[in-house]
Amino acid sequence: MFVIKCPHCFEAREEEEFSYGGEAFVARPTSPETESEESWGDYLFMKRNPKGWHWEMWGHSTGCRKFFVLKRNTANHTTVGAWTLAEARKIYDAEEATA
Amino acid sequence: MLNSTTTNISEFSPVMQSPLHPFGLTSKQEKVNDGKGVWANEIPLLGYISLRGNSQNAAFVNAVNSALNVALPTQACSMSYTAWGSILWLSPDEWLITCKRDQRASLQGALETALADIHSQVVDNSGGYTTVLLKGKNASEVLHHCTVYDLNMLQAGKVVGTTFGKLNFYLHQHEDGYYLVFRRSFADYIWRYLERSALPYGFGIAQLNDGL
Repeated sequence: MFVIKCPHCFEAREEEEFSYGGEAFVARPTSPETESEESWGDYLFMKRNPKGWHWEMWGHSTGCRKFFVLKRNTANHTTVGAWTLAEARKIYDAEEATA
Repeated sequence: MLNSTTTNISEFSPVMQSPLHPFGLTSKQEKVNDGKGVWANEIPLLGYISLRGNSQNAAFVNAVNSALNVALPTQACSMSYTAWGSILWLSPDEWLITCKRDQRASLQGALETALADIHSQVVDNSGGYTTVLLKGKNASEVLHHCTVYDLNMLQAGKVVGTTFGKLNFYLHQHEDGYYLVFRRSFADYIWRYLERSALPYGFGIAQLNDGL
Protein backbone atom coordinates (compact mmCIF):
# COMPACT_ATOMS: atom_id res chain seq x y z
CA MET A 1 0.00 0.00 0.00
CA PHE A 2 1.22 3.45 -0.81
CA VAL A 3 -0.16 6.94 -1.15
CA ILE A 4 -0.59 8.78 -4.44
CA LYS A 5 -1.19 12.49 -4.80
CA CYS A 6 -3.78 12.85 -7.56
CA PRO A 7 -2.86 15.79 -9.84
CA HIS A 8 -6.55 16.51 -10.46
CA CYS A 9 -7.85 16.29 -6.87
CA PHE A 10 -4.63 17.83 -5.43
CA GLU A 11 -4.77 15.49 -2.48
CA ALA A 12 -2.82 12.45 -1.29
CA ARG A 13 -5.05 9.39 -1.37
CA GLU A 14 -4.71 5.69 -0.62
CA GLU A 15 -3.62 3.38 -3.42
CA GLU A 16 -6.93 1.54 -3.01
CA GLU A 17 -8.72 4.45 -4.73
CA PHE A 18 -6.61 4.06 -7.87
CA SER A 19 -6.28 1.53 -10.64
CA TYR A 20 -3.18 0.72 -12.62
CA GLY A 21 -3.23 1.74 -16.28
CA GLY A 22 -0.01 0.27 -17.68
CA GLU A 23 3.19 1.82 -18.96
CA ALA A 24 2.88 5.46 -19.99
CA PHE A 25 3.73 6.96 -23.39
CA VAL A 26 3.79 3.75 -25.40
CA ALA A 27 3.63 5.11 -28.95
CA ARG A 28 0.76 3.63 -30.96
CA PRO A 29 1.77 2.79 -34.57
CA THR A 30 0.44 5.48 -36.90
CA SER A 31 -0.99 3.03 -39.44
CA PRO A 32 -2.11 -0.21 -37.71
CA GLU A 33 -3.48 -1.59 -41.03
CA THR A 34 -0.04 -1.80 -42.62
CA GLU A 35 1.83 -2.78 -39.47
CA SER A 36 3.49 -6.20 -39.52
CA GLU A 37 2.12 -8.74 -37.06
CA GLU A 38 5.41 -8.80 -35.24
CA SER A 39 5.67 -5.05 -34.65
CA TRP A 40 1.97 -4.82 -33.75
CA GLY A 41 2.52 -7.63 -31.24
CA ASP A 42 5.49 -5.74 -29.84
CA TYR A 43 3.35 -2.63 -29.44
CA LEU A 44 0.65 -4.58 -27.62
CA PHE A 45 2.66 -6.86 -25.39
CA MET A 46 6.34 -5.92 -25.16
CA LYS A 47 6.65 -3.47 -22.27
CA ARG A 48 9.80 -2.27 -20.54
CA ASN A 49 9.09 -3.95 -17.19
CA PRO A 50 12.13 -2.46 -15.46
CA LYS A 51 13.33 -3.01 -11.93
CA GLY A 52 13.56 0.57 -10.77
CA TRP A 53 12.03 3.79 -12.08
CA HIS A 54 9.00 3.32 -14.26
CA TRP A 55 6.67 5.82 -15.96
CA GLU A 56 3.15 4.48 -15.68
CA MET A 57 -0.46 5.54 -15.97
CA TRP A 58 -2.91 5.33 -13.10
CA GLY A 59 -6.62 6.09 -12.98
CA HIS A 60 -8.26 7.69 -9.95
CA SER A 61 -11.12 5.23 -10.30
CA THR A 62 -13.14 6.00 -7.17
CA GLY A 63 -12.43 9.74 -7.19
CA CYS A 64 -12.25 12.02 -10.20
CA ARG A 65 -12.00 9.07 -12.65
CA LYS A 66 -9.18 10.82 -14.55
CA PHE A 67 -5.98 9.22 -15.74
CA PHE A 68 -2.59 10.66 -14.89
CA VAL A 69 1.07 9.66 -14.96
CA LEU A 70 3.08 8.43 -12.01
CA LYS A 71 6.81 7.84 -11.83
CA ARG A 72 7.27 4.91 -9.47
CA ASN A 73 10.16 2.74 -8.43
CA THR A 74 8.95 -0.80 -9.04
CA ALA A 75 11.45 -2.22 -6.54
CA ASN A 76 10.35 -0.30 -3.45
CA HIS A 77 7.16 1.66 -4.35
CA THR A 78 8.73 5.08 -3.84
CA THR A 79 7.28 7.70 -6.15
CA VAL A 80 8.79 10.89 -7.57
CA GLY A 81 5.52 12.55 -8.41
CA ALA A 82 2.25 12.41 -10.30
CA TRP A 83 1.36 14.69 -13.19
CA THR A 84 -1.38 15.12 -15.74
CA LEU A 85 -0.55 13.42 -19.05
CA ALA A 86 0.40 16.72 -20.75
CA GLU A 87 2.69 17.85 -17.90
CA ALA A 88 4.32 14.45 -17.59
CA ARG A 89 5.00 14.23 -21.32
CA LYS A 90 7.40 17.19 -21.15
CA ILE A 91 9.30 15.80 -18.17
CA TYR A 92 9.38 12.33 -19.75
CA ASP A 93 10.67 13.65 -23.08
CA ALA A 94 13.37 15.72 -21.39
CA GLU A 95 14.42 12.67 -19.37
CA GLU A 96 14.47 10.40 -22.43
CA ALA A 97 16.55 12.94 -24.36
CA THR A 98 19.30 12.86 -21.74
CA ALA A 99 19.13 9.10 -21.15
CA MET B 1 -52.40 -16.68 -17.40
CA LEU B 2 -52.88 -13.03 -18.27
CA ASN B 3 -56.40 -12.05 -19.16
CA SER B 4 -56.32 -9.45 -21.93
CA THR B 5 -59.57 -7.92 -20.75
CA THR B 6 -58.17 -7.09 -17.28
CA THR B 7 -54.57 -6.08 -18.18
CA ASN B 8 -55.03 -2.81 -19.93
CA ILE B 9 -51.90 -0.75 -20.54
CA SER B 10 -53.80 2.42 -19.68
CA GLU B 11 -54.31 1.07 -16.15
CA PHE B 12 -50.60 0.47 -15.66
CA SER B 13 -49.40 3.00 -13.09
CA PRO B 14 -45.75 2.64 -12.10
CA VAL B 15 -44.93 3.68 -8.54
CA MET B 16 -41.72 5.58 -7.86
CA GLN B 17 -39.77 3.94 -5.05
CA SER B 18 -36.45 4.83 -3.50
CA PRO B 19 -33.72 2.14 -3.71
CA LEU B 20 -33.90 1.58 0.07
CA HIS B 21 -37.68 1.21 0.01
CA PRO B 22 -37.56 -2.54 0.87
CA PHE B 23 -35.94 -1.73 4.23
CA GLY B 24 -39.06 0.16 5.33
CA LEU B 25 -37.08 3.04 6.79
CA THR B 26 -40.03 5.42 6.95
CA SER B 27 -41.91 3.22 9.40
CA LYS B 28 -38.82 2.60 11.57
CA GLN B 29 -37.61 6.19 11.96
CA GLU B 30 -37.55 7.81 15.38
CA LYS B 31 -36.47 11.06 16.99
CA VAL B 32 -32.68 11.24 17.42
CA ASN B 33 -31.68 10.60 21.07
CA ASP B 34 -28.53 9.80 23.06
CA GLY B 35 -29.39 6.12 23.40
CA LYS B 36 -27.73 5.17 20.13
CA GLY B 37 -24.34 6.21 18.78
CA VAL B 38 -25.17 6.27 15.08
CA TRP B 39 -28.18 7.59 13.24
CA ALA B 40 -28.84 7.26 9.56
CA ASN B 41 -31.59 7.55 7.03
CA GLU B 42 -31.97 7.75 3.32
CA ILE B 43 -32.83 11.11 1.81
CA PRO B 44 -34.99 9.53 -0.86
CA LEU B 45 -35.86 10.58 -4.38
CA LEU B 46 -33.85 13.75 -4.78
CA GLY B 47 -33.12 15.21 -8.19
CA TYR B 48 -29.61 14.64 -9.56
CA ILE B 49 -28.30 16.47 -12.61
CA SER B 50 -24.94 15.68 -14.16
CA LEU B 51 -23.18 18.69 -15.61
CA ARG B 52 -20.08 18.45 -17.78
CA GLY B 53 -18.05 21.19 -19.39
CA ASN B 54 -14.68 22.90 -19.50
CA SER B 55 -14.12 24.89 -16.31
CA GLN B 56 -11.28 26.79 -18.05
CA ASN B 57 -13.86 28.21 -20.44
CA ALA B 58 -15.12 31.48 -18.91
CA ALA B 59 -18.25 31.45 -21.10
CA PHE B 60 -19.23 28.01 -19.71
CA VAL B 61 -18.68 29.01 -16.08
CA ASN B 62 -20.51 32.33 -16.52
CA ALA B 63 -23.46 30.64 -18.21
CA VAL B 64 -23.76 28.06 -15.40
CA ASN B 65 -23.39 30.74 -12.72
CA SER B 66 -26.18 32.82 -14.21
CA ALA B 67 -28.47 29.80 -14.77
CA LEU B 68 -28.05 28.52 -11.20
CA ASN B 69 -27.59 31.89 -9.49
CA VAL B 70 -24.60 30.54 -7.55
CA ALA B 71 -20.90 30.25 -8.31
CA LEU B 72 -19.90 26.90 -9.81
CA PRO B 73 -17.27 25.29 -7.52
CA THR B 74 -14.26 24.98 -9.82
CA GLN B 75 -11.68 24.25 -7.11
CA ALA B 76 -10.79 20.56 -6.78
CA CYS B 77 -12.95 18.71 -4.25
CA SER B 78 -15.00 21.80 -3.41
CA MET B 79 -18.76 22.12 -3.30
CA SER B 80 -21.42 24.66 -2.52
CA TYR B 81 -24.75 24.50 -0.78
CA THR B 82 -27.57 26.46 -2.29
CA ALA B 83 -31.12 27.37 -1.35
CA TRP B 84 -32.39 24.46 -3.44
CA GLY B 85 -29.70 21.81 -2.86
CA SER B 86 -26.01 21.51 -3.58
CA ILE B 87 -23.39 21.39 -6.33
CA LEU B 88 -20.68 18.74 -5.99
CA TRP B 89 -17.37 18.90 -7.83
CA LEU B 90 -16.72 15.38 -9.11
CA SER B 91 -13.80 15.94 -11.48
CA PRO B 92 -12.19 18.90 -13.29
CA ASP B 93 -14.94 18.80 -15.93
CA GLU B 94 -17.87 17.20 -14.10
CA TRP B 95 -20.32 18.29 -11.42
CA LEU B 96 -23.33 16.70 -9.73
CA ILE B 97 -26.21 19.01 -8.91
CA THR B 98 -28.67 17.81 -6.28
CA CYS B 99 -32.06 19.36 -5.70
CA LYS B 100 -35.61 18.53 -4.72
CA ARG B 101 -37.02 16.14 -7.27
CA ASP B 102 -39.69 18.49 -8.54
CA GLN B 103 -37.13 21.22 -9.19
CA ARG B 104 -34.96 19.21 -11.51
CA ALA B 105 -36.87 19.99 -14.68
CA SER B 106 -36.63 23.74 -14.15
CA LEU B 107 -32.91 23.57 -13.23
CA GLN B 108 -32.12 21.34 -16.18
CA GLY B 109 -34.11 23.63 -18.47
CA ALA B 110 -32.32 26.72 -17.19
CA LEU B 111 -28.93 25.06 -17.70
CA GLU B 112 -29.78 23.80 -21.16
CA THR B 113 -30.99 27.23 -22.24
CA ALA B 114 -27.92 28.97 -20.86
CA LEU B 115 -25.50 26.41 -22.34
CA ALA B 116 -27.19 26.11 -25.73
CA ASP B 117 -24.18 27.35 -27.72
CA ILE B 118 -21.44 26.06 -25.43
CA HIS B 119 -19.78 22.65 -25.62
CA SER B 120 -21.23 20.97 -22.53
CA GLN B 121 -23.57 18.27 -21.28
CA VAL B 122 -26.56 18.40 -18.93
CA VAL B 123 -28.18 15.08 -18.04
CA ASP B 124 -30.95 14.24 -15.61
CA ASN B 125 -29.50 11.40 -13.55
CA SER B 126 -32.23 11.30 -10.89
CA GLY B 127 -32.88 7.62 -11.45
CA GLY B 128 -29.23 6.79 -10.88
CA TYR B 129 -28.31 8.10 -7.44
CA THR B 130 -29.44 8.24 -3.85
CA THR B 131 -28.19 9.90 -0.66
CA VAL B 132 -27.82 8.62 2.89
CA LEU B 133 -27.41 10.93 5.86
CA LEU B 134 -25.22 9.56 8.66
CA LYS B 135 -24.93 11.31 12.00
CA GLY B 136 -24.54 10.72 15.73
CA LYS B 137 -21.59 10.74 18.13
CA ASN B 138 -20.01 7.61 16.59
CA ALA B 139 -20.71 8.43 12.95
CA SER B 140 -17.03 9.05 12.21
CA GLU B 141 -16.01 5.70 13.71
CA VAL B 142 -18.55 3.87 11.59
CA LEU B 143 -17.38 5.64 8.46
CA HIS B 144 -13.77 4.77 9.30
CA HIS B 145 -14.82 1.11 9.16
CA CYS B 146 -16.15 1.64 5.65
CA THR B 147 -13.74 3.90 3.79
CA VAL B 148 -9.99 4.37 3.33
CA TYR B 149 -10.31 8.17 3.34
CA ASP B 150 -8.82 10.09 6.27
CA LEU B 151 -11.93 11.82 7.64
CA ASN B 152 -9.82 14.41 9.49
CA MET B 153 -9.18 15.89 6.05
CA LEU B 154 -12.88 16.33 5.34
CA GLN B 155 -13.64 19.93 6.20
CA ALA B 156 -16.97 21.62 5.57
CA GLY B 157 -17.45 22.59 1.94
CA LYS B 158 -15.39 19.70 0.66
CA VAL B 159 -16.57 16.66 -1.29
CA VAL B 160 -14.44 13.59 -1.95
CA GLY B 161 -14.94 10.58 -4.15
CA THR B 162 -13.49 7.57 -2.36
CA THR B 163 -14.11 3.93 -1.53
CA PHE B 164 -16.92 2.44 0.51
CA GLY B 165 -16.06 -1.22 1.03
CA LYS B 166 -15.65 -2.49 -2.50
CA LEU B 167 -17.56 0.42 -4.04
CA ASN B 168 -17.07 4.10 -4.66
CA PHE B 169 -19.16 6.95 -3.30
CA TYR B 170 -19.08 10.72 -2.80
CA LEU B 171 -18.84 12.02 0.72
CA HIS B 172 -19.37 15.46 2.22
CA GLN B 173 -20.03 16.77 5.68
CA HIS B 174 -22.64 19.38 6.44
CA GLU B 175 -23.68 20.64 9.85
CA ASP B 176 -23.68 17.56 12.10
CA GLY B 177 -23.92 14.84 9.51
CA TYR B 178 -22.11 13.03 6.73
CA TYR B 179 -23.84 12.86 3.37
CA LEU B 180 -23.12 9.73 1.33
CA VAL B 181 -24.01 10.03 -2.35
CA PHE B 182 -23.80 6.85 -4.41
CA ARG B 183 -25.26 4.89 -7.29
CA ARG B 184 -28.75 3.55 -6.78
CA SER B 185 -27.69 -0.04 -7.36
CA PHE B 186 -25.16 0.19 -4.49
CA ALA B 187 -27.87 1.06 -1.97
CA ASP B 188 -28.48 -2.42 -0.60
CA TYR B 189 -24.77 -3.16 -0.10
CA ILE B 190 -24.03 0.22 1.50
CA TRP B 191 -27.01 0.16 3.85
CA ARG B 192 -26.27 -3.36 5.11
CA TYR B 193 -22.58 -2.45 5.48
CA LEU B 194 -23.56 0.59 7.56
CA GLU B 195 -25.94 -1.44 9.72
CA ARG B 196 -23.23 -4.04 10.40
CA SER B 197 -20.51 -1.45 11.05
CA ALA B 198 -22.76 0.46 13.46
CA LEU B 199 -23.68 -2.63 15.48
CA PRO B 200 -21.28 -1.92 18.41
CA TYR B 201 -22.50 1.66 18.80
CA GLY B 202 -26.26 1.22 18.42
CA PHE B 203 -27.93 2.06 15.11
CA GLY B 204 -31.09 4.11 14.77
CA ILE B 205 -33.13 5.33 11.83
CA ALA B 206 -33.19 9.10 12.16
CA GLN B 207 -36.21 11.23 11.54
CA LEU B 208 -35.54 13.44 8.54
CA ASN B 209 -35.96 17.17 8.51
CA ASP B 210 -37.06 18.70 5.27
CA GLY B 211 -33.63 20.24 4.66
CA LEU B 212 -31.38 19.43 1.68
